[in-house]
Amino acid sequence: MNTTDTLPVEKFQAGDFKSDLKPIWCPGCGDFGVVTALTRALAAIGRPPHEIAFVSGIGCSSRIPGYTTAYGFNTVHGRSLPIAQGIKLANPELLVLVASGDGDGFSIGGGHVAHVVRRNIDLTYIVMDNQIYGLTKGQLSPTSARGRKTATSNFGSLEDPVNPLLYVLGYGASFVAQGTPLDMVGLAKLIEEGIRFPGFAFINVQSPCVTYGEEEQQLKAQRSRVENLAALGHDPADRARAIELAREYGTKLHTGVLYRNPNPPPTYGEGVLQRQQALRKDAVPRQDILKRFLPQPSA
Amino acid sequence: MSNNIIIGIAGAGGDGVVSAGESLITAAALEGYHGIMTKSFGSQIRGGEASCRLRLSTEPVLNPNGSLDVAVALNWDDFRRFGGELPVERRTIVIYESKTGVARDNLPLEGVTPAVVFSVPITEMAEKHAGTSKAKNIVVAGLLAGWFGIGRESMLAGIRKKFARKGADVVNGNVRAYQAGLEFAENNPLPEDRKLKAASGGKGVKLLTDGNDMCAAAAIFAGCTFFGGYPITPSTEIMQYLDREIWKYGGTVLQAEDEIAGLGAVVGASFAGKKAMTATSGPGMSLKTEMLGLASIAELPLVCVNVQRGGPSTGMPTKAEQSDLFQAVFSAHGDCLRPVLAPISVGDIFGLTVEAFNIAEYYQTPVILLSDQEISQRKETVDPIDTSRFQLVERRRPTGAELAKYARFKFTESGISPISNPGMVGGNYLAAGIEHDESGRPTASGEMHARMNEKRFQKFNPLKNRRDLFQIEGDPDASIGIVSWGSVAGVALEALRLAQAEGLHVKVLVPKLLYPLAEQVYQDFFASVKRGLFVEQSYQAQLYRLVRMYVDVPALVKPLARSGSNPIQPGEVLDRLREMVVAMQRNRNHQPEPVQE
Repeated sequence: MNTTDTLPVEKFQAGDFKSDLKPIWCPGCGDFGVVTALTRALAAIGRPPHEIAFVSGIGCSSRIPGYTTAYGFNTVHGRSLPIAQGIKLANPELLVLVASGDGDGFSIGGGHVAHVVRRNIDLTYIVMDNQIYGLTKGQLSPTSARGRKTATSNFGSLEDPVNPLLYVLGYGASFVAQGTPLDMVGLAKLIEEGIRFPGFAFINVQSPCVTYGEEEQQLKAQRSRVENLAALGHDPADRARAIELAREYGTKLHTGVLYRNPNPPPTYGEGVLQRQQALRKDAVPRQDILKRFLPQPSA
Repeated sequence: MSNNIIIGIAGAGGDGVVSAGESLITAAALEGYHGIMTKSFGSQIRGGEASCRLRLSTEPVLNPNGSLDVAVALNWDDFRRFGGELPVERRTIVIYESKTGVARDNLPLEGVTPAVVFSVPITEMAEKHAGTSKAKNIVVAGLLAGWFGIGRESMLAGIRKKFARKGADVVNGNVRAYQAGLEFAENNPLPEDRKLKAASGGKGVKLLTDGNDMCAAAAIFAGCTFFGGYPITPSTEIMQYLDREIWKYGGTVLQAEDEIAGLGAVVGASFAGKKAMTATSGPGMSLKTEMLGLASIAELPLVCVNVQRGGPSTGMPTKAEQSDLFQAVFSAHGDCLRPVLAPISVGDIFGLTVEAFNIAEYYQTPVILLSDQEISQRKETVDPIDTSRFQLVERRRPTGAELAKYARFKFTESGISPISNPGMVGGNYLAAGIEHDESGRPTASGEMHARMNEKRFQKFNPLKNRRDLFQIEGDPDASIGIVSWGSVAGVALEALRLAQAEGLHVKVLVPKLLYPLAEQVYQDFFASVKRGLFVEQSYQAQLYRLVRMYVDVPALVKPLARSGSNPIQPGEVLDRLREMVVAMQRNRNHQPEPVQE
């Protein structure tokens, strides 16, 4: 095993987690801020890059693993969560991060979210929510507002948007937060908290698209709307209040921890480990595995 | 005395038809007989009609097919529902429940009047001796044990074990019901030619299991520690077996939310460095194909089992068919090659599953193992397998020197690059579905894409020389050749033995490696062949068409192929072989051939 060589005294700088690959993002894209916040959070956590697996799907946001020095896996559209779960279950020692966008995470891959939540697999799920399909040049996203005009909704969207915060809270997640690159320090702190949380953690990031996003979504416009939950006096242990606040997604821009379960359920990984330890004694040596097919008298 | 007996039993669900069949094949296996037992049910989840077929022999049994030597009907309506699956001929001995009220000379069978018929008061015997009609299967077990002289003692031991918890009265009642069956059989003996010769094989050494359990056990043997999947008939027992066993070996089973997530988790586990597998059937395979493409371009080892059933769509979930070969070979988009393997029997699936893992790990590729409903769910006796003769292959991991300048997709002579995994210091890289350069960086360069495609194809070249993945039997110079694969190969091989017994010169090629297509193996096989057959259980004769993409198949080698749930019989293949011999003699005598088709 070469995964346990964590050196607690080792000090990392954010730069240790930044690769030399040049991002393909448009200048001014909110996702640049997410890389910065994330690498700061990783430096604070202090796990070396080789102990981190960073999984993503497809979309602008999903390019992010390549811009870090972690083991990255830029997979297929919408499937980052199942792949990340396989990684975490195969090697529980790893720190597993998942990056997604609103389309990747809540449209094509939306079906996986409920299941990772109910399994409570210890992953940190960062969704860069820009309410538009940017990589394919400006089509309607599941979080686009009703009436929004895009390349595929020329006369305005006829659908209500998905509310990522409310969905994930509704599925029963134990850690739900929202941040924005506007507040880099706060975002880094949220990601760090999410990583430290023992179980599935969801962080929605309002990361605007500078090219296809609307004026009021840009960081500049966010400044006048953003409301910090801690400053509002919100108690993150209050799930009912968290749900009320989550309903305001799309009208208000709350940042901070919306909900942190004070008594989170056991993680899937803990259950796996217990079962493996309890059953290990029953293992027949592999070379003798066929002996169980020797028939016993039956009627 | 006969060395081969085929028994069919049918009744209502709950009559214990399958459990009676299982006790007989278990007893037969213990005594050293070879055998195959298949089960068939109506589409109801519980209840409905149930049947089983047993073929027992002193010689290896290659397939379960053939008309019945003995038919047992617990009621006629249910028996008749199985139609062609339980073919009764005049020579078939029919045993049926007296309670059905049918006269012995007026059986409800169309177009056939069996010569020997026994009416047995099965329910009455069960009620009289065990106090319940539930003991019908015990009476039937006694009848079969008595008639075939198999398992008299072992079945008794089995009854004692099975009912031990229910107390002495229940045990004794069932023992009496069993003995009543035995006595009835002894007082009403079968004709001599339906009795089974004594087994020549060793007692107590044969294994007895089905293809799904054998596949799952092989996966554990091969070192698989991760399974992700979604329940689908007829593959689910693989997941069920692994869920009972894999934890003991430090492994994990994830029942995923859908087929895509099942394979996704497997891709993730492989990326994390573990041997990983999924299992599915046709519809699930359709959903998994994008993920297979990802594993191919990211060069991640994994095994994907497709237990084929009749298709398309929901099709015939409980019937065998070999119609997913094209899907396996051409799954996922883009220029790509994925090895496809197919076992021919329950015994065969052990070695081929191990081989699937070995090929996956060695070539860093997804491997598709094409099982089918028949292999997966039939119970078969298997001669002891020496597990020590299997070598297990591990993926090529980077050395310290390679890690110092690590490039995950490095161009090498073999096309195989050292593969790291998270946790390995210095092995950090970006795996991706996007085209990449040697170090894993995304690229849009046409030149790099061409080179990477070249690498991903060329690495498989040595696989085509694996002659051990092809079974060739018969006269090597024969001018008649049969090609067959999967469970139906057992039919072709039996036809070969029947033909040889008639003095015909025939040979059979059974590819276990279906793709990449080993052109040379087929060319060598066809070198002496003038006429022949591709024996396949699919409407399209998919292997026949696939081979013709690569090889000049002799013009008079034709498919003998049809849709599933209507098994090709060895006798049919033999008839075709005889016709070919006649046609070739006619040609030698310069006589014109009658126009056909």
